[in-house]
Amino acid sequence: MDLSSVLSGFAVAFEPQNLLFCLIGVTVGMLIGVLPGLGPAATIAILLPITYSLEPTAAVIMLAGIFYGAQYGGTITSVLLRMPGEASSVVTALDGHALARKGEAGPALGVAAVASFIGGTASILLLTFIAPALAGAALAFGPAEYTVLALIGIFLVGTLGSGSLWKSAAAAALGLLIATVGLDPILGTPRFTFGTDQLADGIDFTIVAMGLFGVGEILYNLEHRDRPQPAVPAFGRAIPGRLHWLRSRAAILRGSVTGFVLGILPGGGATMSSLVSYAVEKRVAKDPSRFGKGAVEGVAGPESANNAAATSSFIPLLTLGIPANATMAVLFGALMLQGITPGPGLMTEHPDVFWGVVNSMYVGNLLLLALSIPLIGVFVRMLKVRPGVLAPLTVVITMLGVYSIRNNAFDMLLVIALGLLGYGMRKLGFEPGPFVLAFVLGSLLEASFRRSMRIFGGDVTEFVQRPVSGSLVAVLVLTAVIVPVLRKVRTRQSGAAEQPAAQ
Amino acid sequence: MNPFPRRGLLAGLAVSPLAAVAACQVQGGADAAEADFPTRAVDFMVPFDPGGSGDLVSRAVAEAAEEPLGQSLAVSNKPGANGAVGLKELLAGDADGYTIALAVKSLFAITPLAVDDPDAVVIDDFRIIATLTQEAYVLVVHADSPYQTLDDLLAAGSVDYATTGVGTGSQLSAQLLFTGAGIDATDVPFDGGAPAVTALLGQQVDAVSASLAETMPQIEAGELRAVAVFSEERSPFLNEVPTAVESGYDVVVDQRRFIVVPAEVGDEAAGVLSLAFEEARESPEYGQFLQDNYMDRWEVDSLEAKTHLSDAAAEYAALVEDAGLDLGEGS
Repeated sequence: MDLSSVLSGFAVAFEPQNLLFCLIGVTVGMLIGVLPGLGPAATIAILLPITYSLEPTAAVIMLAGIFYGAQYGGTITSVLLRMPGEASSVVTALDGHALARKGEAGPALGVAAVASFIGGTASILLLTFIAPALAGAALAFGPAEYTVLALIGIFLVGTLGSGSLWKSAAAAALGLLIATVGLDPILGTPRFTFGTDQLADGIDFTIVAMGLFGVGEILYNLEHRDRPQPAVPAFGRAIPGRLHWLRSRAAILRGSVTGFVLGILPGGGATMSSLVSYAVEKRVAKDPSRFGKGAVEGVAGPESANNAAATSSFIPLLTLGIPANATMAVLFGALMLQGITPGPGLMTEHPDVFWGVVNSMYVGNLLLLALSIPLIGVFVRMLKVRPGVLAPLTVVITMLGVYSIRNNAFDMLLVIALGLLGYGMRKLGFEPGPFVLAFVLGSLLEASFRRSMRIFGGDVTEFVQRPVSGSLVAVLVLTAVIVPVLRKVRTRQSGAAEQPAAQ
Repeated sequence: MNPFPRRGLLAGLAVSPLAAVAACQVQGGADAAEADFPTRAVDFMVPFDPGGSGDLVSRAVAEAAEEPLGQSLAVSNKPGANGAVGLKELLAGDADGYTIALAVKSLFAITPLAVDDPDAVVIDDFRIIATLTQEAYVLVVHADSPYQTLDDLLAAGSVDYATTGVGTGSQLSAQLLFTGAGIDATDVPFDGGAPAVTALLGQQVDAVSASLAETMPQIEAGELRAVAVFSEERSPFLNEVPTAVESGYDVVVDQRRFIVVPAEVGDEAAGVLSLAFEEARESPEYGQFLQDNYMDRWEVDSLEAKTHLSDAAAEYAALVEDAGLDLGEGS
């Protein structure tokens, strides 16, 4: 690595114009992150025309800022309203919202902001030193590896939620079913499209999340309008206490590394990282039963993981020219419009763009931390707004956001339908978390499995013969079979007198 | 933009005759009003995801067309079903020339071979305002692979190749080639160009057919090697790579992009729009954009364009039938 180009990247990042666009980017990103349903991909697409007149580096610094700024903002709605805007913040909503219900929304947001900052910054540092070496790792992941990874993810979904395991499994199965809507990924046969091409491309994640979590939750709460509101803490209590920090410290470090590593994988990396981080924290915790009821580690770990992953998802784009997700695809387009081709040649042909953008992320993360800490008090006060005012307002913003994904009014009807489903699930005690995550991982699992089988000529044993997928199969067997069996044996040995704690 | 587009099959059937009637009325009585078309901004609908080739070329040409048109052109994305969702909405809206859309050849020539849609849009529903680009498909292998030429690849016992999706030119070109060569080849459809190229970079598959824009950066970086292009003549961007036809396989598949309005739009509005885009195609920025994105110009009049599209549809259907292929059911 050429150190002088890294340093000159700092000079680029600190140019006044670039600082300004970084600030604009992260502020806009944070705002759209807070507005439920509005996503960074749609926002960046809307802002594309503005970037024509900008210098390429400034343009990309701003657009990148929107992307990771939205990750910070998305946490706020996940915690306060239980409305995750991205697949990677679904798990944050579980314990984050539980904390908010206990009146600890402030500390939850404070921990999340610091966890996001540390995760993001650690990831940039790692990116700077080992990005070129790691770029190839993304390529070692083919259909076979994604199949096993998605399978691990679906098993981890089972660790979420505090309710019955069978209800989680049923919700996850429903999520897998909804994931099959659209054209068959291999044969192109329409499935569950009811003859309309509105459903031909399947259902967007945001629509499912906003329906099940957002609209479903709002409908459920309408029923309980008479119930006393949770106490809103004074601003003084909005600062996380010593206990919060003690519990989150290790979770943040583990989450940062998990997020960085999994974020490199295009397609599903960020979601997997938050899920893996949550599962790890639950496993190492002294008292796992706190999870789902407001464990601060369940916010700190996944939040540092998804921000680290957001940063490392730039690696495949900038070093290989592979966009890792929908937002990266729009950023790819933005670079192409500027006459810059993201790809293997970027780092040598345009070192100023590469390092300017990478180093601007340090600044961006600092700005976001500075923006979010004082704003926590303001956002927490949002909980004081009467539900009769907050609920319709949230629904309107959600509808606008959902419309903005494809500029399609059909999607708004879909959100309402899924909202009714979410309400029904909530009434019957089914959790939306496993549903939504299984939905995300389901399309990855199905398409990757069927691609693998075509490549392997139908031979399933090849999954264990390839080194990377073989190792992943070992991890899967270990976590999904051996550990639970061992635990069961041990609880049985620990005596009949002592009643085992229900999990 | 129309806030309540087609909601479903039934709603669509109910709306389209009404829209046609409304359009006729506008056309009949509004000649005078159209004389100073356009008096307000024109919506440019891109029926594809933001960031893709179709989106980029639309934004580039829209920017260049604003000045000659004298009004702003607002680009918005309405993706779905290879452009069918957006184009159906275009047909359901007012045929006044204030909404135009990008369209692609594959929707009219290839998608019908893979997807059975009784109310699919057909080219005669539209009036072509301007033709924009043609983009060749190119067959690439990994630089570390033993295959130096197309013949090397076809001599391999069996080939796994990635495609950019079902019912795409990527799938059609590769299937026609491998079936024609009579070798044992398995297609592995991915969701778009980037994942397909990624699979080849990781050597998960042996080959991929994709557009020049999707593969050129990797070809120039020396990661991938082009062994054939599926155009009639060699591509100016890859002059040393032979066409499939030169190598003895009569496979010509490309993607072409053009701008359409509903067929009912009056001559005057259509004429004004056409002139503006013809001027836009001459702008140096647009030229530079095409160069940077490995796109060739396709600039013909609308009659020739329509002939090309219907000929291509018939030709592809015949080729697929002769080869005994069924795109929709895999192979």
